[in-house]
Amino acid sequence: MSIIEVSHLSFGYPEGPRFAASRKTGTQVEVLRDLSFEVMPGTFLVIAGPNGTGKTTLLNLLCGSLVPKSGSIRIDAAAIESYSTEALAGKVAVVRQEFVPVFGFSVIEMVLMARTPYYGQMGFESKADRQIVNEALKATDTAQFASRTLASLSGGERQRVFIARALAQNTAILLLDEPTSFLDLKHQVGIYDLLKRMQLEKGKTIVAVTHDINLAAQYADVTLLLAADSSYQYGRARDVFSPEQIEKVFGVRVFSGKVGQEKFFIPLGKFAKDSRQINGDSDISLPK
Amino acid sequence: MKELLTARKLVVRVTLALVVLVIVMFVCSLMGTESVSLKAVFGGAGGQEAVNPDYEILVRVRLPRIILACIVGAALACSGVIFQALLRNPLADPYILGISSGAGLGAIIAVLSGLNWMLWGRSPIAVFAFAGALGTVWLVWFIGRLTGKSHVTGLLLAGVVVNAFFSAVIMFLISVAKGQQVYATIFWLMGNMTEEDFLVLWLGAGCVAAGMLALFYISPQLNAISFGEDDARSMGVNTARTRTIAFAVAALITAVAVSLSGLIGFVGLVVPHGVRLVFGPDHRQLLPLSGIVGAIFLVAADTLARIIVAPAQLPVGVVTAIVGGPFFLVLLIKHTHKVGWLGK
Repeated sequence: MSIIEVSHLSFGYPEGPRFAASRKTGTQVEVLRDLSFEVMPGTFLVIAGPNGTGKTTLLNLLCGSLVPKSGSIRIDAAAIESYSTEALAGKVAVVRQEFVPVFGFSVIEMVLMARTPYYGQMGFESKADRQIVNEALKATDTAQFASRTLASLSGGERQRVFIARALAQNTAILLLDEPTSFLDLKHQVGIYDLLKRMQLEKGKTIVAVTHDINLAAQYADVTLLLAADSSYQYGRARDVFSPEQIEKVFGVRVFSGKVGQEKFFIPLGKFAKDSRQINGDSDISLPK
Repeated sequence: MKELLTARKLVVRVTLALVVLVIVMFVCSLMGTESVSLKAVFGGAGGQEAVNPDYEILVRVRLPRIILACIVGAALACSGVIFQALLRNPLADPYILGISSGAGLGAIIAVLSGLNWMLWGRSPIAVFAFAGALGTVWLVWFIGRLTGKSHVTGLLLAGVVVNAFFSAVIMFLISVAKGQQVYATIFWLMGNMTEEDFLVLWLGAGCVAAGMLALFYISPQLNAISFGEDDARSMGVNTARTRTIAFAVAALITAVAVSLSGLIGFVGLVVPHGVRLVFGPDHRQLLPLSGIVGAIFLVAADTLARIIVAPAQLPVGVVTAIVGGPFFLVLLIKHTHKVGWLGK
C-alpha cells in the first residue's frame, strides 16, 4: 500500500496580470503534466531536475499549499483534499528553505510551534508535547543551542532546527525543499545522514527536492527526474541517472564515474579545464 | 536550557503588570494643578447643596481621562503587536494600513461640513473618524487581496499609498478651510485626551477588552504565522481564519482608539517592541503585557501632558514621543541580542 499516490497530476500557474483576458480564458503556464508515481512507506525519494520544471511546485502540491489543476494526490490512502489543515499537518511535515525569522524566537520556542494544533485550552503545550520536542532536538543534535535565537545560528544549524520542527510534527512523511543548497560539504552530508537515519530508524517517508544528483544517487531509494518538457523519469537512481539522460535534461555535459554501485557525475562547461577529455561515460576507478 | 513560558508564569506576570497599572492610575489621579485630598474624596459626592470639590475633580474630571488613556493605550499597543506579526515587519504600527489618514479624513469632513448633531454623546468628528478608519482599512485590505492572498508586501504597499493619498487630500482640505475649522482639525490630528462620558468609556473599554480576549485566543497561531503563512499552514494552523480575525479585531480596536482620542503616535510602534525586547516574542505573553504596558505608558504620558506646562496642556502625542523615544533606544541597545532581525 503506497503512502503517497500521485496520478495524472497536472498543474499550471495563471498567466498574465490579474484581470487580463488570459486569466478568464484560463491560459496557464503549465509546469506539471500528467505526472503519476507512487511512494511506498519508509522510502527515500529524491526529486531532481532543472530550475522551473516544477520541483517546488510538486512539493507544494504534496503538502496541500497548492491545489492540482487536474489529477489526484492521495496521502495515506485518502484524497489530499479530504484532510483539514490540521489533519494534513499530522501526516505531512514540510521543511522549506531555511530563513531568519523576523522576530527573535529561540530554537526551542520555534520547534514547540510544531505542536500548536495540539495545544490545550489555555494555549499551552502538554508534557507529551515537550517530550516530542526534546526528542526532535536530540535527533537533530540541536538541543545544545535550544535557547539561542535562530538569527545567532549558522545556516547549517538553522536548517537542522527547521528539520527538528518538522520532526516534532510526528508525521509519517517529511518533505524537504533543497535542504542542503547553502551548506558546505560536511553539512550537506550531515543533513542527508540525518534524513537517512530518520528513514531507517523511524520508518519515515522522505521526499527531498535537490540539485545535487550525486548525493541523490547515494541516499535515495527512488528518484523522480523532471524535465523541462514536462516529461519525467521515475525509478532507481542508477536507472534514472545516466550521462546521456543528464545531458538531455540539464543541457550540460557531464563526466561520470562509479563509486560502488552508484554513478557520480561532474558537470563540465565549455571552458572548464578538463572539458576536452570528456568522452561520454568514462569508466574510471577511484583510488582506495 | 531556557525557561519556557508556562501558563502559571503568564498569569503571575499579567497580574503583576495589572497591579502596576492600578498603582500608576492611582498615583496619576492625585497629580495635577489642583491638589486633591483623598480623605475629602472619600467623603462622597456630597449632598444637593454642598458640592465636594475634591470628589468632583478626581472622579468626574481626572478618572474618566485616566480610564480613556488606559483604553487607548491598550488598544494601540495590542494592534501594533498584531500588525507587526501579520505583516512580519518590525516597522508596522496600528496606522500602517491607512487607519490614521482614513480617520483624519473622516474627521476633517465632519469639521468642514459643520455638522453639530450628537450620537451617544459623541460629536460627529468621532463618528466620522471611526467610519473613515474602518472604511480605509477595508479598502486597503481589498486592494491588498487583489495582489495575492498571502502576499503581505502588496498589502503594505497598498496601505502606504492609500495613506499618502488620503494625507494629501487632508492637506488639501486644510489649506482651503477657514481658520477656526483648521484649528479644530489640527488639534484633533495631534491626538488628545479629553474628559469623556462614562457610558462612552465603558463602551470603548468593552470593545477593547473583548478584542484583546479574541486576540489572546489566537495568539499561539500568531506565533506560527509570524514565520510566514505557508510555514504556519504546514504546521496545521488555519491561517486564513487566524489572519481574518486578527486583522478585523486589530482594525476595530484601533478605530475605537482613534475615534476616542485622535491620532496618538508612537505607542503602537514602541510598546510592542519594548515588551518584546524584555520578555521575548511569544504572542501569548506579548499581547496581554503589551496591552497593559501600553495603558500604563499612556496614562503616565497623559498625566505629564496635563502637568508639564500647566495650566496649559500638551498634546499627549508630543509626550509619548519625547519621553518614550529615548527610553526605547536604551532598551534597544541593551537587548539588541534578542532581536531576530538584528542578528546575534
